[in-house]
Amino acid sequence: MADHSPIYVGVLFSVTGDISTIETSQLKGTLFAIDEVNQAGGINGREIVPIHYDPQSSPGLYRVLAERLVLENKINVIFGCYMSSTRKAVIPIIERWNRLLFYPTLYEGFECSSNIVYTGAAPNQNSVQLAEFMTENYGERAYLVGSDYIYPYESNRIMTDLVRQRQRGEKVGERYVPLNATCEDFKDVIADIKDKQPDFIFSTVVGNSTQLLYRAYAEAGFDPRTMPIASLTTLEAEIAQMGKGVGAGHVSAAPYFQSIATPRNLESLEKFRARFGSEVVPNAGWEAAYFQVHMFAQAMQSSGSDAIDLLMPNLLGMEFDAPQGRVRIDPSNHHTCLFPRIGIANEDGQFTIVREATRAVHPDPYLIAHSLGDWTVSLKTPK
Amino acid sequence: MVAQRTATSELLRSLRTLTVTAYHPADEDGEELLSQLRRIGCRAQAFWPPAQCLPERTDVVFIAVGPDTILPDWPAMRDTKSSPTMIAIVNYENPTIVDRVLKMEVDGIVASPIRPFGLLSALVVARQIRNSRTSLERQVQRLENKLAGVRHVAEAKAILMRGRNVSETDAYQIIRDQAMARRTTIEHMAYAIVSANDILFR
Repeated sequence: MADHSPIYVGVLFSVTGDISTIETSQLKGTLFAIDEVNQAGGINGREIVPIHYDPQSSPGLYRVLAERLVLENKINVIFGCYMSSTRKAVIPIIERWNRLLFYPTLYEGFECSSNIVYTGAAPNQNSVQLAEFMTENYGERAYLVGSDYIYPYESNRIMTDLVRQRQRGEKVGERYVPLNATCEDFKDVIADIKDKQPDFIFSTVVGNSTQLLYRAYAEAGFDPRTMPIASLTTLEAEIAQMGKGVGAGHVSAAPYFQSIATPRNLESLEKFRARFGSEVVPNAGWEAAYFQVHMFAQAMQSSGSDAIDLLMPNLLGMEFDAPQGRVRIDPSNHHTCLFPRIGIANEDGQFTIVREATRAVHPDPYLIAHSLGDWTVSLKTPK
Repeated sequence: MVAQRTATSELLRSLRTLTVTAYHPADEDGEELLSQLRRIGCRAQAFWPPAQCLPERTDVVFIAVGPDTILPDWPAMRDTKSSPTMIAIVNYENPTIVDRVLKMEVDGIVASPIRPFGLLSALVVARQIRNSRTSLERQVQRLENKLAGVRHVAEAKAILMRGRNVSETDAYQIIRDQAMARRTTIEHMAYAIVSANDILFR
């Protein structure tokens, strides 16, 4: 007899706290995909039912709630986490109980848990391309500013190594602000930038305080055409928070921008807006959260079970037509082959794509010494 | 040139140039070890059982140490000039096994079952320990040689002072001049004098 019982999955994204904006978009991306799968008949006729908890941007709560999902809700698969600190908090739980986490966020690399599928970019899929573009077009002296946690430290190490490969490349400053930074915290940084006059600023500030950095920059009267802020985490959702025009001219690298003009992307954006309105702003985190649910559903279609041991063989090596292009989960490291792109924010709060990969770039999460000019990761100017 | 300007330690940067030999049975653990080493970017190959001789041209050796593994006597074969970093993989922690590991003179230890997490740190720290061990051993060797040299010079000076009835300063000057003329070191010259003295007058 066919099994028609629902499939419960765990969802851990914060809708309150310092990183609520980006995680809300990831939550909606997840729910959107679940909706699509259910509308198409579910997984072998079984409906996916999400159980969502709000960890309030606190690593401790991610751990507690992950444990609740596993022990009380008997969940096998969890979608969630933005910051590395929250992923690290969830890992002991999922490894101990042998559950599966889908992690839809770019991060600093150097991890490969057998219990995680990583669908965001590794540094060789965004940092190298961004450093190449910035040093080529704006200059070689970088000022680094980031939120005070592990992802910015490691990201900044990579960026420093990369700019130093240029002849005159140097790091002229490095500053960290708290995750819940206020205008006051950025005043100092802006004064220091004025003093040091870098060619570009590399920001690894994440979450809701991102807008404050860009606003402080605008208020100081700096010009994004000569000294832009480059970032891997300032995407459409953060730009929208800044207010009109504030983000324009700044540069970001990501595998997905809303402005990708393929029928596949336009169709999902349209369907998403029809279903969820335009309050939530799609971005790379949203897209990864979206396609990873579809990959889970496809894998489970074949395995018939959501137990990790049966699911994983189907996931590894799987390909999927995501809004960014045809992605693939690399069987050797559980990360995803993605399409790096460089975008410059425009007046409409969208990104004009100025460079893009012509084919998917393989993830290399354990790469320590990145190099500029690596043709396997280089980008082309779109026609 | 680039290496000097980097913000990252050479021990980390060199990971992708390492050749690793893993002596491990072909089981799930061995697979996990090899795939993680390859993710890190090392050239890794596995063999079982362990060879009697230390493998040549390898930077790091992993060796599974179990209760019934017949371990080769590698410590006796090690030479200080180019000795690979050695890391033991253990699945028991009882004194018998730990004692065997100590006898292997390893630089690090990894617990079985092997998990991807932790291997990179173990590898880098073991390499650091091996490198500093090697350079300390070399330094000790140099100092020992130096010390022997100093002893010979003092002895040679005493011989000359007695035999030719000169002051200590003059005796030293004689050794120095002879060394210069023969294009050799003072220590070497002093050693020759001491040996000759032994043969001639004892």
